[in-house]
Amino acid sequence: MERRREVLVGLVVVLGIAAGVFGSIWLKGGWRGGQTELRTAATSVGALVRGAVVKFRGVTVGSVGSIEVLPSGEAVMVEMRVLEELVIPANAAVLLAPESMFGEWQAEILDRGEFGLPPFLDYPEEGVLPGAALPDFSRLTATFDQIARNLTTISDRVEVAFTEETAMNLKGVIDNVSVVSDLLSEIIAQQTERFEDLAEGVDESAQELGAAARAARISFEHFDSLLLGADAEAMMADASAGLRNLRELTEDVGSSLGDMRSAAQRVDATFARVEGLLTALETPDGSFGRLLGDPALADGALEVLAEFRALLADIKENPGRYVTFSIF
Amino acid sequence: MAELLLRPFAAIGNLTLAGLESMGRAWRLFASAAVSIRNTDVWMPLLLPQMARVGVASVPIALFIATFTGIVMALQASYSLTGTIPSYFVGTLVGKTMILELGPVLTGLVLAGRVGANISAELGTMRVTEQVDALETLAYDPLAYLVVPRLLAGIVMFPVVVLLAISIGIAAGWFTALQLLEMSSAEFVKGLRIYYAPWDVWFAVIKSLSFGAVVTGTGCYCGLQTEGGAEGVGRSATRAVVAACMIILCLDAFWAAVLL
Repeated sequence: MERRREVLVGLVVVLGIAAGVFGSIWLKGGWRGGQTELRTAATSVGALVRGAVVKFRGVTVGSVGSIEVLPSGEAVMVEMRVLEELVIPANAAVLLAPESMFGEWQAEILDRGEFGLPPFLDYPEEGVLPGAALPDFSRLTATFDQIARNLTTISDRVEVAFTEETAMNLKGVIDNVSVVSDLLSEIIAQQTERFEDLAEGVDESAQELGAAARAARISFEHFDSLLLGADAEAMMADASAGLRNLRELTEDVGSSLGDMRSAAQRVDATFARVEGLLTALETPDGSFGRLLGDPALADGALEVLAEFRALLADIKENPGRYVTFSIF
Repeated sequence: MAELLLRPFAAIGNLTLAGLESMGRAWRLFASAAVSIRNTDVWMPLLLPQMARVGVASVPIALFIATFTGIVMALQASYSLTGTIPSYFVGTLVGKTMILELGPVLTGLVLAGRVGANISAELGTMRVTEQVDALETLAYDPLAYLVVPRLLAGIVMFPVVVLLAISIGIAAGWFTALQLLEMSSAEFVKGLRIYYAPWDVWFAVIKSLSFGAVVTGTGCYCGLQTEGGAEGVGRSATRAVVAACMIILCLDAFWAAVLL
C-alpha cells in the first residue's frame, strides 16, 4: 500500500512537472534542432517581443531570444536564435514588422539589396546585422492625423490672410502692372520711331554734306588753277584745310552717330573758316576779287556757301536731329 | 432609542474585532506551524500520505473540470471571434485563459471544496473528540503532526495538479477546435504560440502554490477551531470552504496586480 502510494505520488509529480516544463518549451517553439545566434541592431523594435518568430523568405527559422536597449541608448539590440544550417545572404538585414494586422510582430531576415527602403541601422560592430522597424499602424495613423492637422492649420491661415480686400488689392496690382506694361510698350514704340527719324535725318544730312563737299571740291579746283600770289597760297592752304575738315566731318557724320556733337563743332569751325575765306574772296580789292569776275565760278562759290550756311543753320537749330541721347 | 441607533455600529465593531481575532489566531497558528517544521521526524512520515490525499486524489476531479473548461473555452472563443478575427485566436484565447486564470483558479476553487472541507472536517472531528488534546497529552506536537504535513502537501501538490489541469484543458480545447470548429492543428498551435510567454507558466505556478497554502491552511485553522460536536464540524467545514474560496479570489486579483 505504501509502495503504491509512493509510486502514485511520484508519477503525478513527475507528470505535472513534465507537463509544465515540456509544454512551456514546446509552446516557446523549442526542439528546432541545432541553433545559432544572430544579432541585429535597430533604432526601434516596434511591438516585437521575446519569442517572436524569425522568418527567412517566409519560412519560420527561429525566434527572438532577447531584446535590450544598448547602454548608450542609441539602438536596441535584438538577439535571435535561428537554425544552425541556415545560410543567409552576404548583405543580409533584418526587418522588424507586423506579422499580421493583429499586433504580433516578427523579425524577417532579408537581402538588403532586394528591400532597401527603410533606413537600416548599420551598427558598427562585427556580426551585427543592420536592422530596421517598420512603423506600425498606430504610428502611421498618428502621422496621418498630424498631416491632417497641419493642412487644417494652413487652410485656416490662408482663409484668414486671403480676404476679399486682399483679392481686390491683388487685382489692382495686376491692373497697374498691365497699365505700366502698356506704357512701356508705347514708350518703346516712340523711341523706335525717333531712332528711325534720326537715322533718316542723319542719312539726308550726310548726303547733303557729300553734295556740298563735291561742289566745294570742284570750286577749289578752279581756285587752285587760278591762284598765283603769296596771299592766294595762304588762302588756298586755309581752303584746303577747311576742305579736309569738311571731308573728315562728312565721314564722321556718316559713320558714327555718337560723334555728331564733335562733328557739328568741327563743321562749325570749318564753316567759320570757309566763311572767312569767302568773305576774303568777295573783297573787290584783293587778288580774288578780280577772279570773281568769272560768273560761273562766282555762282558755284555762292551756291556752296549758301548750302554750308543752310546746313550750319540747320545743325544749330536742330541739334537733336543729329545728336540724340536716350535711355531706351 | 439610543440603543437602537448604536446597534449597527456595535455589530460592525464586533465583526471587525472577530475578524481581527481570527486573523490573529490564524497567523499565530501558521507561525507555530512554521516553528514546528523543525520536527521533521514527526511530519516527514506523514507527508507522502498527505500528498497522495491532497494531490493525487484530487487529480481526477481537477482534470475533469479542466477538460470541460477547455472544451467550453474553445467553443465560446469560436462563437465570439467572428468576422475579420482569424480563427487561430481560438488557440490564443484557450491557451492564455487556461494558463493565466482558469487553470489555477478553477482548480483552486474545486480543491478548496474537496481538500479544504476534508481537512477541516477531519481536524474538527479530532478536535471535538479530543484527539488533539490527547496528542498534546502524549507530548506530540499537534501542529507538526496535523498541520505541517497537510500544509506542505498542499503547497507542493497544488502546482503539480494545476499544471496537469492546464495541459489537459489546452489539449481538450485543441481537440475541440479540430473536431468541432474545423480548425487545423497548425492554426491552433500558431494561436497558442503567438502570445505565449514562459512567464505565464511561472505566474500560474506561483498562484497555485499560494492557493495550496490557503486551502490547506484554512482547512487546518477552521478544523482546529471547531467547537460544538458534529454540528460544529459541519459548520467549520463550510467555513473553511467559503473562506478559502474568498481568499483565493482575493489572491488571484492580488497576484494579477503584482506580477503581471
